[in-house]
Amino acid sequence: MAESKQKLMEFRPLIEGEQTFESIDQKVADLVLHQKGRYPVNLKSPWYIIMGTAIGIFHLLILSVGWLLYQGIGIWGNNVPTAWAFDIINFVWWIGIGHAGTLISAILLLMRQNWRNSINRFAEAMTIFAVMCAGLYPLLHTGRPWVAYWLFPLPNITGMWPNFRSPLMWDVFAVSTYFTVSALFWFVGLIPDFATMRDRAEKMWIRKLFGLLSMGWRGASRHWHRYEQAYLLLAGLSTPLVLSVHTIVSYDFAVSIVPGWNVTVFPPYFVAGAVFAGFAMVLLLAIPVRKWFGWTEIITDKHIDWMTKIMLATGLIVFYGYILEVFYGWYSGTSVELKLLNFRFSGPYAWAYWSLIFCNGIAIQPLWSQKNRRKEGLIWVICLLVSVGMWLERFVIIPMSLMQNYLPSSDKNYYPTVWDFGMFLGTIGMFFMFMFLFLRFLPVINIFEMKDLLYKTQGEKAATAREKKPATAPSGGE
Amino acid sequence: MDSNNLPNPPQLDLDAVREKLNGKTGRHYWRSLEEVAETPEFQQWVDDEFPNRRSLVDMDRRVFLKFMGASIALAGLTGCRGYFLPEEKIVPYVKNPEEVTIGKPLYYASTFVHAGYGHGVLVSQNEGRPTKIEGNPDHPSSKGTSSIFMQAAMLTMYDPDRSQEVMAGRGDDATADSYQAFFRELKGKLKATQAAQGAGFRVLVESITSPTILEQLAELKKAYPAMTVHAWEPFGRRNVYEGTRVAFGKPLNPIYDLSKAKVIVSLDADFLADGPGALMNARGFAAGRKAASEGTMNRLYAFESGASITGAVADHRWGIRPSAILDAAKSILNGIENGSASPVQGVEQRHLQAMVKDLMAAGSAGVVVAGDYADPEVHIVVAHINEKLASNALSYTEAFDTEATSASINDLVKALNANKVDVLAIVGSNPVFTAPSDLEFEKALGKAKFSVHYGLYRDETARACDWHVPATSFLEEWGDARAIDGTVSIIQPLIKPLYNNPTPVEFFGALQGDLINGHERIRKTKYAGAVADENGWRKVLHDGVVPNTKLPVVKPTAQQIAVESKPVTGIEISFRPDPHIFDGRYANNGWLQELPRPMSKLTWDNAAIVSPKTAAELGVKSEESLTITVGGNSATLGVYVQPGQPDGVITLHAGFGRTEGGTVQKNAGVDVYALRSSKALNHAVAEETRGSSAVYALATTQIHHSMLGRDIVQWNTLAELSGLTGETAHGAGEHKEGEHKEGEHGAEEGHKRELKDLNMYPDEIFEFEGPQWGMTIDMNLCIGCNACAIACQAENNIPIVGKEQVKRGREMHWIRIDRYYTSQNAVTGQRTEEPNNKEVDPIDNPMPVFQPIACVHCEKAPCEPVCPVAATVHSHDGLNQMVYNRCVGTRYCSNNCPYKVRRFNYLNYSDNQPQFSEASVDIKQVPGPIKSPKTNGIQLLQMLVNPDVSVRGRGVMEKCTYCTQRISGARIEAKKLGRELQDGEVVTACQQACPTQAIVFGNIRDKDSKVFKSRRDKRAYLLLNEELQTRPRTSHLSKVMNPNPEIKA
Repeated sequence: MAESKQKLMEFRPLIEGEQTFESIDQKVADLVLHQKGRYPVNLKSPWYIIMGTAIGIFHLLILSVGWLLYQGIGIWGNNVPTAWAFDIINFVWWIGIGHAGTLISAILLLMRQNWRNSINRFAEAMTIFAVMCAGLYPLLHTGRPWVAYWLFPLPNITGMWPNFRSPLMWDVFAVSTYFTVSALFWFVGLIPDFATMRDRAEKMWIRKLFGLLSMGWRGASRHWHRYEQAYLLLAGLSTPLVLSVHTIVSYDFAVSIVPGWNVTVFPPYFVAGAVFAGFAMVLLLAIPVRKWFGWTEIITDKHIDWMTKIMLATGLIVFYGYILEVFYGWYSGTSVELKLLNFRFSGPYAWAYWSLIFCNGIAIQPLWSQKNRRKEGLIWVICLLVSVGMWLERFVIIPMSLMQNYLPSSDKNYYPTVWDFGMFLGTIGMFFMFMFLFLRFLPVINIFEMKDLLYKTQGEKAATAREKKPATAPSGGE
Repeated sequence: MDSNNLPNPPQLDLDAVREKLNGKTGRHYWRSLEEVAETPEFQQWVDDEFPNRRSLVDMDRRVFLKFMGASIALAGLTGCRGYFLPEEKIVPYVKNPEEVTIGKPLYYASTFVHAGYGHGVLVSQNEGRPTKIEGNPDHPSSKGTSSIFMQAAMLTMYDPDRSQEVMAGRGDDATADSYQAFFRELKGKLKATQAAQGAGFRVLVESITSPTILEQLAELKKAYPAMTVHAWEPFGRRNVYEGTRVAFGKPLNPIYDLSKAKVIVSLDADFLADGPGALMNARGFAAGRKAASEGTMNRLYAFESGASITGAVADHRWGIRPSAILDAAKSILNGIENGSASPVQGVEQRHLQAMVKDLMAAGSAGVVVAGDYADPEVHIVVAHINEKLASNALSYTEAFDTEATSASINDLVKALNANKVDVLAIVGSNPVFTAPSDLEFEKALGKAKFSVHYGLYRDETARACDWHVPATSFLEEWGDARAIDGTVSIIQPLIKPLYNNPTPVEFFGALQGDLINGHERIRKTKYAGAVADENGWRKVLHDGVVPNTKLPVVKPTAQQIAVESKPVTGIEISFRPDPHIFDGRYANNGWLQELPRPMSKLTWDNAAIVSPKTAAELGVKSEESLTITVGGNSATLGVYVQPGQPDGVITLHAGFGRTEGGTVQKNAGVDVYALRSSKALNHAVAEETRGSSAVYALATTQIHHSMLGRDIVQWNTLAELSGLTGETAHGAGEHKEGEHKEGEHGAEEGHKRELKDLNMYPDEIFEFEGPQWGMTIDMNLCIGCNACAIACQAENNIPIVGKEQVKRGREMHWIRIDRYYTSQNAVTGQRTEEPNNKEVDPIDNPMPVFQPIACVHCEKAPCEPVCPVAATVHSHDGLNQMVYNRCVGTRYCSNNCPYKVRRFNYLNYSDNQPQFSEASVDIKQVPGPIKSPKTNGIQLLQMLVNPDVSVRGRGVMEKCTYCTQRISGARIEAKKLGRELQDGEVVTACQQACPTQAIVFGNIRDKDSKVFKSRRDKRAYLLLNEELQTRPRTSHLSKVMNPNPEIKA
């Protein structure tokens, strides 16, 4: 980019180009409705390639899970000091990725951050799919998954309740609530857009399908009133979830007495890490997607800029967490904690620790510069590094802490098997499969909120422009 | 049905009714319904129990046959049990046998024979199947305790790989035949030898002490005056007999009573773990160390050519080359005779001097023990030393095992090569695998005109013989054996032979030409303490021991014989039996294979054990490969770097690398018998050693050596301990208020008390008027022998997992023996600063310590709050319980357990024992009725399980329960008698097995109980309690070392 610094600093609108209500409708809805005609030709083959690959990898998940159910947890590399490894790493990693969606939808909504409007749907979908991937792990990592339902407080003849003192129990509630609220939030937000789709659809069955999904939405002011209330309430519900879910996930570790886990800094550090990882994943997907779909005017450079700023901020918090961990270990003065530090710095898995420091600590430093925050390629690479780094962070925390024990006799090395990687890759396949299905078959960008934004920034101009093309029926717009 | 000629009964046509009612509503509807209801068809329809059914009478022949066919076919499905449905045969007793109460075990006294010598056992039998072996308290050798071999013998009994049919022919061409056919052929062959007085008749036996079999051999000798009995015990006591023969004129059997010894010197003797007197020695040794808290203790000096548990518990230990052991012996003798100890390579002169001085001061309370595998010259010198000391701790009887009285295997090979052997019977032994390589036994064996092998497995030797007759386990036979002191005990069968095999006594009967009954034969044996009448015999069976059969002690005088030591250069190889699978005879026993070796913590493998310095010289690191060549043969092993191993010595454990006779032993270790020649049986000089960086992955259960400066195994010297008064700083927080006498404690103690007052936990967590269970483990008595671990495995149905799973770190033992190296110098007894957090590996000549750890049953157990389904909870009597049925397997409890004693069934270990999980089990290799090894193997091993303990499936956590089934059993008995449980009534499996009785279990609330007193011993402390406030119910008692103050760096 050859723009001068002054030009960079000037105000840039959240929607670029000459946009009208109609053009927004068209940009988003037509992608779904006109699969044959207007779906970008240059996008079709990448879509098929990615989708095909994702489905292929998804089969790896089916295979891994099948073998896991048949054989048992022993197909993984877990052992006795290291009873948790890839299973919980991946659980925490996926849950963390989901956080950006909720943060964008809920907190930014409540804070009236309008810029969220173009990315919230996308991020929410990511949340749901990530939580689906995450949810597989706690279920399947149990030794006997067929009785994993005992973790729910179901009335039963033995009068046996789960142990509410266990952080894993809290996890069950945290994650299931999180998933329910996120899914509801996503669906409620989609209703007006489903109506737009219904109205724009030409084929009868598509109209019926979206009609069903739009739940009788007619855009009446009463509907809008109730919608706004429900949406706000759900946002209010989600907001504490952003903080609580990962706080509770961090309790799995912080409540225990395992050296390296028993750290009070974990809850804020985990939440920051989750937001960090989540935004990295949003950017990782948004940067190519906005290019392919020609949405650079809706998801603007400004969005990217702001998201990288959040990444930088949370990333620095996380880095501070790493420094604190070292400090606590040193300050404890106990042999166990010091040994653990030593093990992280120079043990057989020291490369994981130092890669983590590089990915999450060093690699984000270029984002201080506004110039760099406009370099999509650079940002994309940084986001990729951050995603890897966040995975490594959990690797450093979970198995690497477990490998060190109060009694040195119990110390044993952990090494993963192909099935550990198989299931992890498989969930990535599942995530991309759902994500790309979503990208193709649902309105990826919040149409009515974009119109709202357009109205707020451009006033009547945008609304009247619609009349130039009366062929299209008015829909969910105000 | 056109063929139906019978009139139909009136049938209700429902369609017509529906049509009639159709379209009618309200009043009309009900009226029409009434009309319908009044018809006779409807009435009949209502009356009939199964309306509109097809009557049998309606059916024609074809349909009838179709139905019948289907019914029969479906009924036949139940016959699929055993194929794809589990076959369950639960047949109740029609007539309950006398004494049997279903669900209650019966105990019988019997004898377990290891390397020829008897160890009295009590075997529990559940509904006719033996399940668990304990020591017999009346037997002089075991005295109620047990060795690992005794405990593991139960698994061998049910081993599906055991040979099951008489096999005729060699190798793969062998076919199953009958014992009668064998007997006919044998009789014919023996008759042919009679012409030459049996000159061509040879019997090769192991070490045998059985009075009956020795009588039989004598009778055989009478019948065939020219026949020869050869004995071959790969790691027998030949050198002991040879040494005593030279020194005293006849082979003698030394017996040690170490409880009478104040100063013990071991010359390469692993007397606590190896040899027929090991249990006796361990008990005697422990007796001298029990009173450490009272300030008296024996002192053990050890000279070793390797690292053994005896050296590990020694107060001073020198690792020296095997060839220098004789120098050490001579040095002691010189020291005693003329006041100055002669030099020994690798040992400081003043240390030797101080040691000899100490030994001489002890006088008759001193004893020198020479190892069974030390050269005969060492035994000669040691005989002199002990004579000079007039040691009380040593007595001799005449040697009575076949090794002392029979010809050698060398002679047998000579005869074979001269084609002089017409009939060769090999009983029990496996010489094709174990014989010295220079004898080329297999080749020689081929020259025998007729050969038969009698043994438990169709092993290497069995396959090379013309006939193979399967042997019985000691649990299936009548027999007898002598303990090391000569006491005879009876082998009493617990079960009919599983495969209808002849017992050893019956097999020797067959060699004598008769098909005899083993029971009748042993009744004819003339024991010194005769048991002629039936009542006497019953008492003998009940006690297990024949009274007054101890052999008379002989008091010989040693002749003065000068022995020359031969200096040796180069890298020396020291051959030793594996501590667990011995000479290879237990190689197919998974329990023993998987039990971590005491010093190396290796499982399923042997290794080239070298010192750190030698490893550096050879250019190898741990888990790299080392090729050793001796006598032209070479073997490639993984390297294990052992702290304390003498430099320039490679210890090789034999018994691994078995090729025939079982599936468990496959791919376990390397055969080193190839390197062993008859001239250098126990130590040799390596011709070549070639290291390579090729990885040889070893499965160890403990990778760290150092305690990293942490307070894990507490230890003091005896002198330090005497300085401590009363209750020490250990175990703060466990004592009740007011139990302390004020003024007894120093300022530091006061500070501890203050800290304790800040403790927010109540003193007594469980307010329950009943027993509160607790355990103490005395690390001063623990010799690291692993008997507790294997007893626990047998008692609690703990599966083995195999080498790969051990490498992954998933072994299942509920109790493990941690082995650390302390900062005490093993030679000088002096402490060095223990490094914090750094794996200094190894510290120069460190002192090893053992710490048995099972679940310590924390009162504030970290595992309990984290389980999401409350599958691990506390009982009112203080047990941390694991509810298998409730466990979903999140493994959080294991993560949160600071002792890491929880074990997880990562796979279906209980059913996937290697015997039947391996699809490639060769039918030819495992002869007999095991046509489908999978199911039969499972059935056989199912007979092994303790019915009082659940077998855990996959995905479930498990751990030590303090033998809760034994607690319940004792409680029920006490309740029936209407009294309280008494101290000592509940005995855990580990406690019962422990040879040194280092484990005490009982009610810690009962102030008169042993465990209460032991818990308040000044050496007692609670592991990790200061750090984590877990409040364990198991206390450890610190180790005490008793170094000679004159031996200093």
